Amino acid sequence: MNAIEIKGLTKNFGNKQALKGLDMTVPMGAIYGFIGENGSGKSTTEKLICGLLVPSGGSIKLFGRDYTDADVRAKVGVLIEAPGCFPNCTVWNNMMLQAANLSIPNAKEEVRKALKVVRMEGSASNKYKNCSLGMKQRIGIAMALLGHPSLLVLDEPINGLDADGMRIMREVLVDITRSYQCTVVISSHILGELEKIATHYGIVRGGKMIKEMTAAELDADCRTYVALRTRDMSRTKALLTFKYSRVEEDESGYLRVYDAKAPEDIVTYLYENGILVNEIKTAKVGLEEYYIDLMNEKEVR
Amino acid sequence: MEMTRALKFETPSFTKRLRGMLGVDFYRLFHTPMFYIFLVIAAIIPAMILGTSGSDTAEGVAPLYTNTWQIIAADTPIYAVSDMGQYANMNMVFIFGGIMVSIFIGHDYKSGYVKQLFTTHAKKQDYMMSKTITCAFAMACMCITYLMGGVVAGFLAGTSFEVNVGSLIIAIVSKMIMSLGWASLYTFLNIIFRRYFGISIASSFFFGTGILIIGAGAIVGNSSILNIFLYGSSVYACLSSNIMTLLVCLVVSVAWAIIYNLLGTLILSKSDVY
Repeated sequence: MNAIEIKGLTKNFGNKQALKGLDMTVPMGAIYGFIGENGSGKSTTEKLICGLLVPSGGSIKLFGRDYTDADVRAKVGVLIEAPGCFPNCTVWNNMMLQAANLSIPNAKEEVRKALKVVRMEGSASNKYKNCSLGMKQRIGIAMALLGHPSLLVLDEPINGLDADGMRIMREVLVDITRSYQCTVVISSHILGELEKIATHYGIVRGGKMIKEMTAAELDADCRTYVALRTRDMSRTKALLTFKYSRVEEDESGYLRVYDAKAPEDIVTYLYENGILVNEIKTAKVGLEEYYIDLMNEKEVR
Repeated sequence: MEMTRALKFETPSFTKRLRGMLGVDFYRLFHTPMFYIFLVIAAIIPAMILGTSGSDTAEGVAPLYTNTWQIIAADTPIYAVSDMGQYANMNMVFIFGGIMVSIFIGHDYKSGYVKQLFTTHAKKQDYMMSKTITCAFAMACMCITYLMGGVVAGFLAGTSFEVNVGSLIIAIVSKMIMSLGWASLYTFLNIIFRRYFGISIASSFFFGTGILIIGAGAIVGNSSILNIFLYGSSVYACLSSNIMTLLVCLVVSVAWAIIYNLLGTLILSKSDVY
């Protein structure tokens, strides 16, 4: 059984078609990285899964059941954009109000546990309006965790956070999957961070799912490259471009050769042409580059 | 990936859901300064009416009210009002109550609370009912502070307190019962205009004044048929009320509450919430 199964989902806002028959499958227990550019339909899809929007067509099943069933909804925790908290209430009171909405028995204990998971137990008495962005996002996650959800839908939880905030959030998300054992769907633009935690990916573009894959499949799909540095980079580049089809200079000053079979071949070739290699390594492109490549590929088509 | 726990689905009962939501709404109501401000406003209105209303006569300005209880309800049900004295009574609470409901529900959307709510097991009908009950309670409280303010204003102005106590009690209780119908109307209006806070307030104010029924009263005359509407029944609860008045108000208020709740639920179910 899959946690989420979406088939042919469409959503129109007036004349604008935000989703054009989107298909999506999220296996149980996955941390699903939901990727796409602005306006590609990520948030719309998540809002539809959460029941905030009414679909124009298609079907959404959560745990094999209709997504609008009250018993299914009770299994879903959500953080869409920002948490819906009352700014003048304390963090604790906001949490307790949500616990009351969910009719949770042992509310205090549940709230305490959720705040501990998101490392906010020391800030429970703070007013929500006085919390930082990172804290607010974590409060939103804590609220979503109330009632022990089996599916957590998080819309851009790491965007706008500083490096430390991102690190904490990453740890929190990993903790959640361990202690709450739930399936997590995360949309984000910060692919480097997503890559560290996601087990599955879905790439959406123009309201359609263009690719779904596991982290292992992504790893196999990602091309390896040889990165090197020499004293004469411009001549090296000219020589390599002559022999290899794709040679690029990256931000850290390395020359990347994508279709090289072995680094030794490059070293020998350059040596024969009078250039000594100072540094050389093999690496794999990350999710971000894979995503950019995929987007460019689709654009060309 | 074998890390998921076994899934056990439980359908939360209607009473469990509603109890939880009412708990939150009442907590919010009692913890928002707006509620207390409106209670004070309701208490001040009778004094303001008593202090400012009057009609010009040959001997000068004669007060519109000679009896304190006329500030609470009119002597007889007159739908097409001709002067302030027939209009300005406890029904004023329903106008200000409409503004209060708009602010209360508007805050749900502004804070994103509805988003938090509708992504859980909460149903749209629970939301409509919870808001209606909470806001009806708030308006009934306003009726009480209005009554208290009226009595104090009457003492200060030295107006008569002579009244048929039974009719007065029935009129007051009937108007408090009408709060339910009015609250459901305002909740419904705020659901329709949920994305436009200003229009929500304006529409609540417009319907709260009973201008449509006053207009209809001018056309059809002082007909009891107008009692089927919220404003008609509210006017019907007057100082000559009897047990029939109470029954009419109860039936009309509950009937409209059901109609508006059903319509509101339908709109919320068929349209995007947030």
